Amino acid sequence: MNPQAKRPVRYGATPEEAAFYRDLVARHGSPLLVVSREALRRQYQSLQHQLPGVSLYYAIKAFPHPAVVETLAELGCHFDVASEGELELLRALRISGRKTIHTHPVKKVDQIKAALRGGSTTFVVDNLDELKKLTPWRHRVGVLLRVAFRSPSAAVDLSRKFGCLPEQAKALALEGQAAGFQVRGLSFHVGSQSTDPATHVAAIEACGRLIGEINREARHPLATLDIGGGFPVDYAQAGFDFDAYFAPIREALAALTDDLHLIAEPGRYLVAPAVRAVSTVIGKARRGDRQWYYLDDGIYGSYSGQLFDHAVYPLQVLRDDRPRHPAVLAGPTCDSIDVIAEGLELPELEEGDLVIGHLMGAYTAATSTRFNSLNAAKVVVVE
Amino acid sequence: MKVFEETLYDSVSQCFRIDKLYYESKTEHQHLMIFHNAFLGRVMTLDGIVQTTERDEFIYHEMMAHVPLLAHGGARDVLIIGGGDGAMLREVCRHPAVERIVMVEIDRQVIDLAKEYLPNHSAGAFEDPRLELVISDGMAFVKECEADRFDVIISDSTDPIGPGEVLFSDDFYRECRRILRPDGVMTTQNGVPFFQLDEVRDTRERMGRHFRDQTFYAAAVPTYHGGIMTFGWGSDDPALRQLPVETLAGRLAEAGFTTRYYTPEIHVASFALPRYVLDAIQ
Repeated sequence: MNPQAKRPVRYGATPEEAAFYRDLVARHGSPLLVVSREALRRQYQSLQHQLPGVSLYYAIKAFPHPAVVETLAELGCHFDVASEGELELLRALRISGRKTIHTHPVKKVDQIKAALRGGSTTFVVDNLDELKKLTPWRHRVGVLLRVAFRSPSAAVDLSRKFGCLPEQAKALALEGQAAGFQVRGLSFHVGSQSTDPATHVAAIEACGRLIGEINREARHPLATLDIGGGFPVDYAQAGFDFDAYFAPIREALAALTDDLHLIAEPGRYLVAPAVRAVSTVIGKARRGDRQWYYLDDGIYGSYSGQLFDHAVYPLQVLRDDRPRHPAVLAGPTCDSIDVIAEGLELPELEEGDLVIGHLMGAYTAATSTRFNSLNAAKVVVVE
Repeated sequence: MKVFEETLYDSVSQCFRIDKLYYESKTEHQHLMIFHNAFLGRVMTLDGIVQTTERDEFIYHEMMAHVPLLAHGGARDVLIIGGGDGAMLREVCRHPAVERIVMVEIDRQVIDLAKEYLPNHSAGAFEDPRLELVISDGMAFVKECEADRFDVIISDSTDPIGPGEVLFSDDFYRECRRILRPDGVMTTQNGVPFFQLDEVRDTRERMGRHFRDQTFYAAAVPTYHGGIMTFGWGSDDPALRQLPVETLAGRLAEAGFTTRYYTPEIHVASFALPRYVLDAIQ
C-alpha cells in the first residue's frame, strides 16, 4: 500500500448526490458499502459488448455478496468459484452448479467433493498431481489446464503462483486424456488490473497455437479457452480508453478457430464500479502542518484493498470550500498503518462529514478484517 | 419456463421441465426439490441429481428388493439402509414371509417429506407392523449391530459423493457381511456404469474382499440417465444367483404379489453383464 500514491479526489457534490449519501447514512448508519444494481448491469453489458461471444463467469471472490450474484445471474452471467463457501452462496440463491467453473488450481479433496455436490464439474489444474486428485471422478469432470504467461503490467501478477509452462501443456493434456480425463481446454490468468492488453493478446495467441498443436495429437480436441480476468477499471480517473484496451483482445479472439468455446472470469471489471464506500469523519487533529481526519472505515476494513490489492481508490468529499489544506485520512483502528491517504489537499472537514470512496467493489469487503473488533461496513443495495 | 438440469456429468446432462414445484429446501447445505413433471409425475432431486420419479421408480425398487429376497427364498429379517422415500420398504413389505424389517435412515426429514409429497412411494408401508424405523447413520448402525442378524441387506444409498460416501466403503461392506447370516445376501445401488465405470471397479474391490461371491446385476432405470444401472451383489453362496427360472417363479407365486418390471426371467438375465463391465471388474 502506498497512502501517498497520487490519487484522484473529487470536491463537492450535486445537491441530489449529497442528499443520497446523507439519507443512506441516516437510515443505515456508517460506514457503508453501497451496491448499485444498475451500475453492475451496466458493467456486465459493457463487457458483453467488448467481448462478444465470450461467456462471462463472475469471479465471486471479488465481492461475494448475494445481491451481486443474484443481479448478475438474472442477466445470464455464469460464475467462477474457488471454494465451498462460494458454492454455498450460489446454492442459497438456487443457482445451478452447471453455471460455474471451479478455478482454484490447488484443491483439497474435500473441496473437490463439495464442488461436485454443488454441481460444479469443470476444474482447472496446472500439474499432474492435481489432476490425479480428480481420478475417482475422472469420468464425471471436465478439466481446463492453466498455462502461465507472466504479465509485467498487471498490478497483481497471477502467473507467478499458478500455471504450467506453455511447453508443458501438451504433455499434460495428452497424459490427462490418456488417463481417461476429459481435458476440455486451456485457461490462463494474466493477473489483475492489467492495463496493457498486450499480455492478454500474446496469451490468447499462444494458447491458440498450443491448442492447434495439441489437437494434432490429442484423441479428443481441446475446445475451450478461458482467458481469465484481469480487465482493469479506471482508478486513476484519467479517462482510460476501454475501447482501445479491448479492441486488440477482441481481434486476437476473432483470429482463433471459430469453434472454440470462449470463457472469461471478470471480477474487478464487473463489480468495482458498482460499489461506493461511504465513511464518516469521526475525529480530527492538527499534527504538524497537516490536518488529520479519522474515518470510521479504513485499511483494516473496506480499504483493505489498498494493502492486499494495491488499489488506490478515487475519493470524494462533499464540500468544495476554499482554501484547501494538506490533509491525511486515517482509519478508525489503533494501528499506525491504518492510513488511507496522505498528501491530500482538502477543504476543512467537520466531524460527521462524509467521505466517499469510488470504484470500491473489488477486493474491498472481501478482504476486510475485524481488527479492533470493529464491525465491517454494512452493505446496502440500491437500484 | 423452469427446468431442472442434472449436474452429474460435465459433458452431458438431462433436463426435466418443472411443471409444478411442491417443495424446495431452504438450507444452504443441501438442495432438495420435489416437483411435478407432466410425464414423470413427481420427481425428487438432491443437489442437482435425480433421486426418484413416480414414473420409473418401480423398476429400481422391484429389482433391488425382489431379486435378493426371492433368491434367498426364506428371508425373515431384512435390513434397509437409506430408502427414506419408503418405496423399498413398500416392496419388501409385499413378501409375507418377512417377519421383521429394520429401516435405517439418517434423515427424518426425508421420510416426512416423502410421506407428504411422494405418498405413492411408500403407499402406507410406514404403517406396517413389521417395520422398525431407526433414524441413524447407517454406518453407525451396522457397526453396533450384533452378528448374524439379517438374511437380506439392501443398501439404498444416495450418490457416493456426500453423506452416502461411507455406504460405499470397505468398512461398511465388512460390517454388513458380519451382521448377515451365513446364507444371507446384500444388494447395493451402484450407479450407471456407462458414465461411472470406476464405481463398479471400486465396489468390486471393496465389497469383493468380504463376500465369497461378489458380482453385479443390472436394469435400465430411464431417469438414471445413461443406460443400465448396476446393483452390487454380495453373498457367500454362488448358487444364490444361479437359481432356475422355475424356482424363482414358484417363490414369486407363493409370495402372491404381482410386479410391473420384475419377472423370474429378468431376474436370471439381469446377472448377464456387458463386456465393458466385465472387463472393468476382471
